[in-house]
Amino acid sequence: MQLVRPSSVEEAVAALRGGAVALGGGTDLVPLLRDRIVEAETLVELHAAVPRGVRRCTPTSTSPSPSSARFWIGAGTPLAVLEAEPEIPTTLREACRLAASPQLRAMGTIGGNLLQATRCWYWRLKFPCWLHGGETCDAKEGQHREHAIFGNERCASAHPSDPAAALLALGARIRTDRRDLPLAELYRLPTDDDRSMTTLEPGELILELELPAAESSIYVKAMDRQRWAFALVGVAAARVGGETRIALAGVAPVPWLVSSPEELEQATPLPGTAYKLEIARALVQRALAQL
Amino acid sequence: MRCGFWRNVPWSGVWHEDRGVKIRLTVNGEPREADVWAGESLLTTLRDTLELPGSKNACEQGECGSCSVLLDGALVCACLVLAAQADGHEVTTVEGLADREELHRVQRAFVEAGAVQCGFCTPGLVVATAALLEANPDPSDDEMREALSGNLCRCTGYAKIFDAVRLAARS
Ligand SMILES: Cc1cc2nc3c(=O)[nH]c(=O)nc-3n(C[C@H](O)[C@H](O)[C@H](O)COP(=O)(O)OP(=O)(O)OC[C@H]3O[C@@H](n4cnc5c(N)ncnc54)[C@H](O)[C@@H]3O)c2cc1C
Ligand code: SF4
Ligand code: FES
Ligand code: FES
Repeated sequence: MQLVRPSSVEEAVAALRGGAVALGGGTDLVPLLRDRIVEAETLVELHAAVPRGVRRCTPTSTSPSPSSARFWIGAGTPLAVLEAEPEIPTTLREACRLAASPQLRAMGTIGGNLLQATRCWYWRLKFPCWLHGGETCDAKEGQHREHAIFGNERCASAHPSDPAAALLALGARIRTDRRDLPLAELYRLPTDDDRSMTTLEPGELILELELPAAESSIYVKAMDRQRWAFALVGVAAARVGGETRIALAGVAPVPWLVSSPEELEQATPLPGTAYKLEIARALVQRALAQL
Repeated sequence: MRCGFWRNVPWSGVWHEDRGVKIRLTVNGEPREADVWAGESLLTTLRDTLELPGSKNACEQGECGSCSVLLDGALVCACLVLAAQADGHEVTTVEGLADREELHRVQRAFVEAGAVQCGFCTPGLVVATAALLEANPDPSDDEMREALSGNLCRCTGYAKIFDAVRLAARS
């Protein structure tokens, strides 16, 4: 295995042709490489290639509303920068602050965070489960306290990203080296024919995120301890242009939008995750009350 | 000793044959070089090649903080950084804090406050505390808890650790 360190997007894109794997901060990828869950001939370090930092575009006097202000965030921006960025919408700042630990936020980039692999221990311990191409979901038969209450027909894993829920509630878009798409379209529920959870093509690089300034937004997170734990349930709510959107972390294999609190009643909890539905109801109520 | 059995343990990059990447970095102020496997963690290189075993390997998953080091001044988990990512950068480990025989004030405070039991978490906590006090010489209790939230201790119950941080901040 080799590591290449391109210094421009073009070089990085070229280096990623032919099955090389992109390396952001490495906080998710390093253990997966060590455990041979991810195998690669070449790693492409994005540090010097992918943009980092936050830019604000202030609305002009002719803009339709104050919320037409927008932010651009480089995909290489560490979560530690975003948690300390006073201007970005609260839901994203809080989601970053409440994610992982200071050490991980110093290295972990927002692009890598959106693409982190599932934390399902069956998968990480290389059980030949459905997501690894097998026949059954071991978690459903076995331990699944941290698992999903939505979209869990095949794989019951729970998406671990807090910032993804926040960005989904904000209606963020992402720009890759080849297209521009709503964040919601980055994710897909895996199917028997295609078990990937994102629509990213091989070698496709996330370069930038674009999000609106919200009139009001919030992120609330239930965890096993008050800091440094994955979300049992995370709820992001944002009001943008008069419209309120709610998105959840930790409840489905991908970050999950709900169009109204009532939609929570369509959940399909497993025996061990029924408690998550109660938490989700309470947190959605709390988030909307504080919005 | 690296015997054949360990070479086959899947979770270990340590005994990987393919050490095709040469890295040059500054560790505790000194220029160092190492030949590493491209997928090898900085923690493995520090402990097994550069003979700096102060940073501890407890979980290798980013969950405990006992491997905390400074990478260009930022607190990171060395088990989640590739050694190759640190090529050309500056690393400070717990070994780099003391001034020869003179302990760093954070180390002294940990001893004086009795903040060490089994000691496995201590190097990571010492580095994390040094980083905190560098950035914020007079942290509030909340800031202290927040800054050390990535470092788990299974022995002390944290009270003595926070005493040590307060003591170090005063000294
Ligand atoms: C113990 C622990 C606790 C954690 N707790 C939380 C938590 O509570 N909440 C939370 O949200 N997260 C949590 N995380 C996840 C953490 O935030 C992510 O690991 C981190 O943000 C990933 O960023 P990275 O840059 O290190 O990604 P990497 O590990 O470098 O990459 C992750 C994936 O993204 C790909 N990739 C990276 N950047 C790009 C890009 N620009 N374009 C295309 N592909 C790319 C890589 O190829 C890889 O597949 C936790 C992680 C650990 C280890
Ligand atoms: S939840 Fe998904 S990843 Fe976990 S065992 Fe089931 S199929 Fe595999
Ligand atoms: S050994 Fe690195 S965090 Fe536990
Ligand atoms: S002293 Fe034993 S883990 Fe902290």
